[in-house]
Amino acid sequence: MIVTSLPVSARGPSIPTSPASTLQEVSDDKFVFGKVDLDLLDEIRLLDDRFEKEGVVYRETALDAYLNRVGTAVVADKKIENVEWKFRALRDPVPNAFALPNGSIYINTGLLALLDDEDQLAAVLAHEVTHVSRRHTYLRNRSIRKKMLAINIINTIGTWTPIGGPAGLAINLIATISPLMLAISILGYSREQEKEADLEGLKVATAAGFAPEGMTNSFKAMQKDIEGEQLNSFYSDHPKLQERINYTSGSIGSDAKKLSDDEAKTAKEKYLAEMEVIDRHNVELAINQGRFRSAVFISEKLVHLHPESSENYFYLAESYRTLGPRDAVFTTQHLSSGAKKKAAKTRAKRTLEEQETDLLATPAGQAAWKSNSAEAERLFLHALQLNRLNANAHRGLGMLYEKLNRKEEAANEYAAYLELAPNAIDTERIRRRFVLLKESLK
Amino acid sequence: MRLSVRFVVMLLCCIFAHYHAANVQAQYLNPKLVEKKITIQNAVILPAKVEITKESAKGSEMMVAESAEISGSVTEAVGQALKGKKVGVVTNSFDPTTMDESRKYKLADIQNRYDALLPKLLDKSKDVKKARFTLGDEVMLLNVDKNADALVFIRGQGRVFTKGKTAFSIINIFSFDFPFALITVGIVDARTGEVLAFTKPFSASKVLKDPKALNKMIEKSLKKLPAAAPGNSSVTPPPK
Repeated sequence: MIVTSLPVSARGPSIPTSPASTLQEVSDDKFVFGKVDLDLLDEIRLLDDRFEKEGVVYRETALDAYLNRVGTAVVADKKIENVEWKFRALRDPVPNAFALPNGSIYINTGLLALLDDEDQLAAVLAHEVTHVSRRHTYLRNRSIRKKMLAINIINTIGTWTPIGGPAGLAINLIATISPLMLAISILGYSREQEKEADLEGLKVATAAGFAPEGMTNSFKAMQKDIEGEQLNSFYSDHPKLQERINYTSGSIGSDAKKLSDDEAKTAKEKYLAEMEVIDRHNVELAINQGRFRSAVFISEKLVHLHPESSENYFYLAESYRTLGPRDAVFTTQHLSSGAKKKAAKTRAKRTLEEQETDLLATPAGQAAWKSNSAEAERLFLHALQLNRLNANAHRGLGMLYEKLNRKEEAANEYAAYLELAPNAIDTERIRRRFVLLKESLK
Repeated sequence: MRLSVRFVVMLLCCIFAHYHAANVQAQYLNPKLVEKKITIQNAVILPAKVEITKESAKGSEMMVAESAEISGSVTEAVGQALKGKKVGVVTNSFDPTTMDESRKYKLADIQNRYDALLPKLLDKSKDVKKARFTLGDEVMLLNVDKNADALVFIRGQGRVFTKGKTAFSIINIFSFDFPFALITVGIVDARTGEVLAFTKPFSASKVLKDPKALNKMIEKSLKKLPAAAPGNSSVTPPPK
């Protein structure tokens, strides 16, 4: 898939004040569409439609309106040839964002949940908008095509060179090394575009009235390696996050607008309130994809935001339940490069269930399992204290008790769930569990 | 002279492999299926995801529309092969135009679960015989027909070559760069999520452009699947 991705950035004291002027500059890029570009655009449009059909786009009126409001402020309603701006959330708990060259900007629910305020969101969108307005996908596609042709030609020369001796050896060496160099340069070119999107995006977001530090802060938010998966290759098409923080913060002038602590707190609370529904959805997605630590992290934010919400407590409890024998937070030792590579290999080879079994065979895993189960139970019960009709909390408690082999209690909780939510999407699943439990109790 | 003979033999082998590569049919069955503890009477085929790309001398290009079309053809072929085994089949119970968002999400989530498992299935396919893989009882969230006892996941990828790329691949015969189609079919217990059967037919011939060859390839790949007991296939067709 040819897309360009991930977050945002700034330029210092010389930031232009008019959003229109920034995008005017962009739209005057004299980009002339060739057949190759138009073919790519056609494919991209089809791909865009497919996202909708396959249920990967999160549709929620309030969220769509919110993303559109921020996105439209960033693009300042500027028309660009073959671009129709759309800002949508993608149901994916991995923190990422990407832009299609037709103007569809997708931000993953995982990134929305990680960000802290609207300025950071605007920075991410501005980064992606820059990819589109600077025609990065088309330029990258053109560049790759040229390089691939060169690689093919060089390979052919290398295969059929009839010359022997030092000259033949030299040709063979060049033929071997050149494709590799060209392949690496395909990646390198993308890094340049990413830096441009960071710096230009910072300019665009600031011009639209968002705080320039949003760009730097969005990188800092992404630096939280909650799942211990940020290997060197993870953001291979982007400069390293610390490098991005350095050059974006360096380009923000000392006279740039900064939020006071109170303003920052209010902005954060406002953003989290906007994101509450999607954060809950993202917790479900994170659990479904085995990103249990992310689920805990986001649920804790939710509970902190609305401690009176039974539903938020349910999500935190569910996160602890599914965490099983894993630690809720990684230690520095777990986050070392070697440990992360080892963990990545394990993830590639073992299924989630097997990883859990492996961990349970260790004293540390047993301890974590006991502690997480106890915490989950406490949280489920608290959720029920806040709202005894919270059906999901009964279901979660049932699953926890079933795993703890407390069958009678599990069956009771399932029965409560089935009574409270007779038409839920998972009724059949829970009924089956209930029946099997009852049979085993006979 | 000896070197020349070896060179010519290798060249001929490569040309043979390039144009007449036999279909590779790998099939793995869960012991419960082999021992007939479980029989598949009715199956629901989930929307297939087969991605094909066009390879030219200048790299690869997406073929979104063609991929959708071939996904349909592969679904049809799998359906036919299952019917050949007397298994009742539903192929279109997930029409995106009739599903509400919540059902679309659940389908996408289950498809994601399978996609996350797929690399392990491909890597250690033989472990299906050890009943190692499961998607969990979350598969029940799809709420498919109550009579359905299996869900069928279809994935695939393929490459078609332009004339230019074909020329390069012939000239660079030793690069072993050729068009191919790799289809994977995973059959999963509709209640427990356990992987009951997995096949990964591979073809270096032109199955993507030849429906008959595609049907034959899929049929062969499901050859070992035990046939359903006659008269027990009773999946209700989806509402039209």
